[in-house]
Amino acid sequence: MSDVQTPTAIAASAVPIPAVAAESVGKSFNPGTRKQVDALVDVSLTIRPGEFVSLIGPSGCGKSTLLRVVADLLQPTSGTLLVNGKSAKQARLDQDYGMAFQQAGLFEWRNVARNIELPLEIRGWDAARRHARSKEMLELVKLPDFANHMPWQLSGGMQQRIAIARALAANPPLLLMDEPFGALDEMTREHMQAELLSICAATGTTVVFVTHSIPEAVYLSDRVVVMSPRPGRITSIIDVALGDARNDDTREASEFYRKITEVREALRGADHAGRSATTGARGIEDR
Amino acid sequence: MNTTTLRRNATNVAVPLVFGVIVLVAWQRFVEWRKIKPFILPTPSTIWHEAVDKVNLLRAASFVTGENAIVGLLLGIIVGTVVAMIANRFRVLSELITPLAAAISAVPIVVIVSILNNMFPLGSQVARRLMVTIIVFFVVFVNVARGLRQSDPTQVELMRSYAASERDVMRKVRLPNAMPFLFTAIKIAAPISVTTAFVSEYFGGTQDGLGQKIASSMSSSKFPLGWAYVGAACLVGLIFFAAANILEFLAVPWQRRRDSR
Repeated sequence: MSDVQTPTAIAASAVPIPAVAAESVGKSFNPGTRKQVDALVDVSLTIRPGEFVSLIGPSGCGKSTLLRVVADLLQPTSGTLLVNGKSAKQARLDQDYGMAFQQAGLFEWRNVARNIELPLEIRGWDAARRHARSKEMLELVKLPDFANHMPWQLSGGMQQRIAIARALAANPPLLLMDEPFGALDEMTREHMQAELLSICAATGTTVVFVTHSIPEAVYLSDRVVVMSPRPGRITSIIDVALGDARNDDTREASEFYRKITEVREALRGADHAGRSATTGARGIEDR
Repeated sequence: MNTTTLRRNATNVAVPLVFGVIVLVAWQRFVEWRKIKPFILPTPSTIWHEAVDKVNLLRAASFVTGENAIVGLLLGIIVGTVVAMIANRFRVLSELITPLAAAISAVPIVVIVSILNNMFPLGSQVARRLMVTIIVFFVVFVNVARGLRQSDPTQVELMRSYAASERDVMRKVRLPNAMPFLFTAIKIAAPISVTTAFVSEYFGGTQDGLGQKIASSMSSSKFPLGWAYVGAACLVGLIFFAAANILEFLAVPWQRRRDSR
């Protein structure tokens, strides 16, 4: 892994092009009407290449909207957004990012290998190159013997691993994930978190990760971005960086708990700042 | 296949079989006991003997009806699917076609067949086949249009994130997603295509096909033969239905999983 630069190493070297650079990004739905909803207001965030950033906050805080704006699946109504130094649209057209959702979203009529090869097919890779790549990706997610299985023959955790393999197949520098482990049981979830970290360490991929779970955000992230609803905005950004040697013991460490508390308090603060002070931070998992 | 599924399959076959035999025996005994006249209801045994005797006539008429049904069915499936795809791409068209298709399907078959019969020369099967096409088109169009609309949003979003073209989204997401809907439509439309062909034949046109044969047998007091034609019509309908089911089983294996879940 000598060729893989750690986030700190990159930060120390010459200033690289940010993976994501958002400047006062706003997104309103139905602007100018009475049904106007301000999903995002004045969001500024710079993500370094190789960094793992989580977006956390209660339902309706705009974290998924922000992810979709970065992915160019939604267009911002104000502000500027650059992905890899280009417009979000250009980044999408160049397939500069891979995406994974809470639903694995595997195509039932395609076997595992052909699911992973889908983005490559659209890029126009030839069959031999696609096969080689999907084989490689299956090794990476530790499911090398499942190329010819159909999605329904896999467990939820395995399906999610295939979805991640698919997102990374075209070797994008950026991975956008929207609660990818939200539908998994706790044991599988922790296992998948460890897998994701090792994949990211091996590939050097930048990750933007939307989650409801505080421990998940703390365990995975270099930085946790805390957001609050109505209108959706960033209220604080917490440096975590538990280090490269995270393992199951990390989950027992006092530093881990200290960071969890810090994020939780930031969420409470964010919530008090919002209008729903009496209802508490709904939709946030403390486990 | 384990023993449990084997037993379940055996039960699935045995139950309707036993029921059918009971109905036939009861029918036979009832007609004999009440001495019912053959023009009201012949016994199954008379119908059977007539059928065996006139098997060539039955076969010829069944082939005419079967051919009318299958030509109309295939045309209806193709036109219905293609129009649903176009309507999915251009919403205006969908708003134009849907009420029109509904209006046409609300007109009684008798009326349309009469009109169509006047349009084509005597002895032509075109009117009947077109009638089947119209009915099948409606069933296929409505179902496939829904299937194309109800694509998994995650899959569509993924395709957009790959910067996939509209054509790729249609080919790789919408069409495969609509396949179970298409085959549901085919399962509904297959037996209907036989009845429609049959009814269209009944209302004029050439003197062949099961519909005409039943009408002429009954009006010339050949009741057992008329009933034998009815039996042949049932058989053709069943064959179509079974074929549609087998086709679905082979074509959309992932649907099997959804059903058994």
